[in-house]
Amino acid sequence: MIQLKNLERYYKSGFQKSWVLKGINLDVKQGEFITIMGDSGAGKSTLLQIIGMLDAANKGEYNFFDEEVHRFNEKKRTELYKHYIGFVFQAYHLIDDLTVYENIETPLIYRGIKSKERKPLVAELLDRFNIVAKKDLFPDQLSGGQQQLVGLARAIIGKPKLLLADEPTGNLHTKQGEEIMKLFKELHAEGMTIIQVTHSEKNAEYGDRIIYLEDGYVREDKNVNELLEKN
Amino acid sequence: MWKHNIKLTFRNFKRNKTSFLINLIGLSTGLACALLIYLWVNDEMNIDKFHAQDDQLFQVVQNYERTEGIRSRAITPAYFSKEMKDALPEVIYATPTNNEYNFTEPGIISLGEKDVKARPLFAGKDYFNVFSFPLLQGDKDQVLVDKNAVVISEELATKVFNSTENVVGKMIRWEHDVFDGEFLISGIFKKLPESSTEQFDVVLNYEHALDPFEESRNWWSDAARTFFILKKGTDLQQFNKKLTTILRSKPYRENCSMFAQQFSTRYLHGQYENGEISGGRISYVNLFSLIAIFLLIIACVNFMNLSTARASTRMKEVGVKKTTGASRWNLIAQFLTESILMVGLSFVFSLVLISMFLPQFNEITNKQLDLNISSQTLFSILSIVILTGLLAGSYPAFYLSGFKPVNVLKGKLNNLFGEKWIRKGLVVFQFSMSVIFIVSFLIINQQINFIQKKQLGYDKSNIVCFTSKGQASNKLESFLNQIKRIPAVESATNIEGGGFMGNKNNGTAPTWEGVPVTQQMMVPRPHVGYDYLKTLGVELIEGRSFSKEFSNEEDNVIINESAAKLIGYENPVGRFLYRGSDYKIQIIGVVKDFHNESLHKKIKPTFIRFQPTGKDIMVKIKPGQEVATIQKLKKTYEEFHAGFPFEFTFLDDEYQNMYESETKVAALANYAAGVAIMVSCLGLFGLAMFTTERRRKEIGIRKVLGSSVFGIVRMLTSDFTKTVFIAILISIPISFFIAKSWMANFAYGIKLSWWLFLVPSLVVLLVAWITVGMQTVKAASVNPVHSLKDE
Repeated sequence: MIQLKNLERYYKSGFQKSWVLKGINLDVKQGEFITIMGDSGAGKSTLLQIIGMLDAANKGEYNFFDEEVHRFNEKKRTELYKHYIGFVFQAYHLIDDLTVYENIETPLIYRGIKSKERKPLVAELLDRFNIVAKKDLFPDQLSGGQQQLVGLARAIIGKPKLLLADEPTGNLHTKQGEEIMKLFKELHAEGMTIIQVTHSEKNAEYGDRIIYLEDGYVREDKNVNELLEKN
Repeated sequence: MWKHNIKLTFRNFKRNKTSFLINLIGLSTGLACALLIYLWVNDEMNIDKFHAQDDQLFQVVQNYERTEGIRSRAITPAYFSKEMKDALPEVIYATPTNNEYNFTEPGIISLGEKDVKARPLFAGKDYFNVFSFPLLQGDKDQVLVDKNAVVISEELATKVFNSTENVVGKMIRWEHDVFDGEFLISGIFKKLPESSTEQFDVVLNYEHALDPFEESRNWWSDAARTFFILKKGTDLQQFNKKLTTILRSKPYRENCSMFAQQFSTRYLHGQYENGEISGGRISYVNLFSLIAIFLLIIACVNFMNLSTARASTRMKEVGVKKTTGASRWNLIAQFLTESILMVGLSFVFSLVLISMFLPQFNEITNKQLDLNISSQTLFSILSIVILTGLLAGSYPAFYLSGFKPVNVLKGKLNNLFGEKWIRKGLVVFQFSMSVIFIVSFLIINQQINFIQKKQLGYDKSNIVCFTSKGQASNKLESFLNQIKRIPAVESATNIEGGGFMGNKNNGTAPTWEGVPVTQQMMVPRPHVGYDYLKTLGVELIEGRSFSKEFSNEEDNVIINESAAKLIGYENPVGRFLYRGSDYKIQIIGVVKDFHNESLHKKIKPTFIRFQPTGKDIMVKIKPGQEVATIQKLKKTYEEFHAGFPFEFTFLDDEYQNMYESETKVAALANYAAGVAIMVSCLGLFGLAMFTTERRRKEIGIRKVLGSSVFGIVRMLTSDFTKTVFIAILISIPISFFIAKSWMANFAYGIKLSWWLFLVPSLVVLLVAWITVGMQTVKAASVNPVHSLKDE
């Protein structure tokens, strides 16, 4: 599904380049649940953003379903991720002026899906996430966990092939976090490819592969079981 | 998508009530001003444009080459139209009408007992072929062929006959102080549109305008205005040459030339310089339009500033939407929807404002504008609204939608530096405009005040002016004597032609010793009766005034100081001036210079001649007894002028009327300055609010570190102060330039002293301080515990 070859991302300050990512090689198969871990500043989020096509690498190849993303311009990338990728953020990033229902509905609007067809799709997710009663509330009327549920619902309503999550439980307390992670697991079981960034090893256990980043390099890339056994 | 955008817009309005209100008030005021001005401009542009052959309908303008320069007037010799129609095949129809100096007074149409006042027009037989005023009855080729035929208006027919049916073929009586007679009605024309500059109730055969003045048929007289229909595609320059050739083949016309001007352009382009069209009312149309545009931009700037200042709060929305699949165009569409909706709401609100201020606006502009607008106007107005929305929304839309989601979600604002400068630039623009408007306002009002208070060399108070009409001319002397017998009347005089005070009675000056007879110079030469100087209170320096004790006063002249200086006689009284070689005019008096023309013009050498038959009467009344005396004047007038109503004006008002356009512009400048500064301050208020909000935490920290409230207020205001200072520095040279070019219209006026620029600057600065101060004091007084807590 995804191949990254020799990916580099750096920032120029004057004549100096400072690398965030260097020599990244990565292969992601469809249906995998990958966790990216590493210390602060190791480049986790940047890698996630490049995979999510919000950012572009300076060097290297990025193939997504055999499309050469590194050759795309911004517009074409937007077109691609619009159809294949869903995002979940640590700070939820819901739109304050929209209700729960409307927040979930937004991606469908931008895909040009008609109101009549949107309704059952949103209703299904509200039901599945148990937030039907909250559908007319605004984000600031919800708890953090509930907000993240909405965020997740919004990410998957377009039936993306790839779900990207940047510390999805970082702002939540343990119980709420577990609830979210269980949903991730469910989605994974249904066949969705997931890549998450997290600091929590406990969260990493929900997935099946872990990639450790250190100063922009891939230090380790292992199956969850063998890695956890080792530690 | 639209529904989504509109919904978001309204929620956004609701969430940010303050900026919504600021935008609503600002934009609706700006729009109301702009739309009022648009209604006026639209009305002005449509004057005289309704004629079917508008693009072919022309009027002849004549240039007179004189020693002091070329003078242009839209008058011609009486028979010029016939001459040009015969000689030039490209002229399809041509007609003369009476010129604008004769028959300006209405006459009376009577039938049996009924007397109705009617404004006459004297026109050639093809008048209704040249002008497309539709005839209700009558054939447009025939109605004016017969010399005793008249065409009357629909309204006049209804007034006299109570109907427009069976009116053609009836006789009516026409009474006018120049001539009267019985006429046969040959046609009825439809009510003239208000957008017509030609206004009349009855059309008579042109010959009647010439009969009473035998000399008016001569080629040296200009008794006509000439209108014609020109064949399409005619080369105007060539055509003008042909006109001049015809004219110069006539006697007395070797120094004249002619050109054709499209009739409907004369309303806005009716001034001439050097024998060419040089503007006219169009300058007011342009000025008003410019003011409208600037006011609208000032209002839009508020919207732009507030939108971009709030960018930090909108940023997240943009980032999230982009990651959920919104394209840049989706977002631009959303922000433009927002601005257009904002402007649309303001438009509705502005309609309320317009209907409130329309009566006042009509008073300033002398129009009858209303909101009953045509679909075409409606279309234009909606276009203005949408354009304003696009203008106001464009910058925020492109700015906000350009955020990169990665940066936004990381909390980074791109291009903060440039954005801040653009916002500052916009504020500078707003306040520069405010200063310019206030300076203009101040200078115009100072100048009007100067005009009011100026010692004119005569006393214009308590003087009543009216005209003796109808057949009373032979009884003029006894009428005047009767008036003088009214106890509160101090003095009365009569003037022959040339408007009030006779100041428009211009002509060539007589010559004097040592000056060749051929030198021609146009000067005011009022022709007045006895007591002219006494009535006006003009001071006599030497000699005497016209008096009944002397005979042959017609051969004498009173000159003013300027004339005396020009002539250069050492003791002018008793010496002679000449007209031609054998006509001598004796100087009997010299008066102090007085402003017999408006203050736009320098006092000219003036030659006051004696003519006891003038019908424009001025009466000086003792102060405090005006009402009773005017009643008595009315009674006396009606005794001598059966059937004519007593219509009078005060010389004071006539004086005011000379400065009508200045007063108009002053009134407009008043409003413009008020609106500009109000809207600008609203915007500043909003900006200050957001800045202090954004710096809330900083303020808290500074206070914890020991800063005083005053210190924080100073820190927050200094930024705005600098911005306003820059605005002042930019606007002062611009307003100085504008003021100087406006003052060039006056020969006598105020000096442009420094305080006229300092005061507006201080006002703007002060108002800005108060606006920002209110916000900052509030922010600075907040207990830091509160501002630091929730971070």
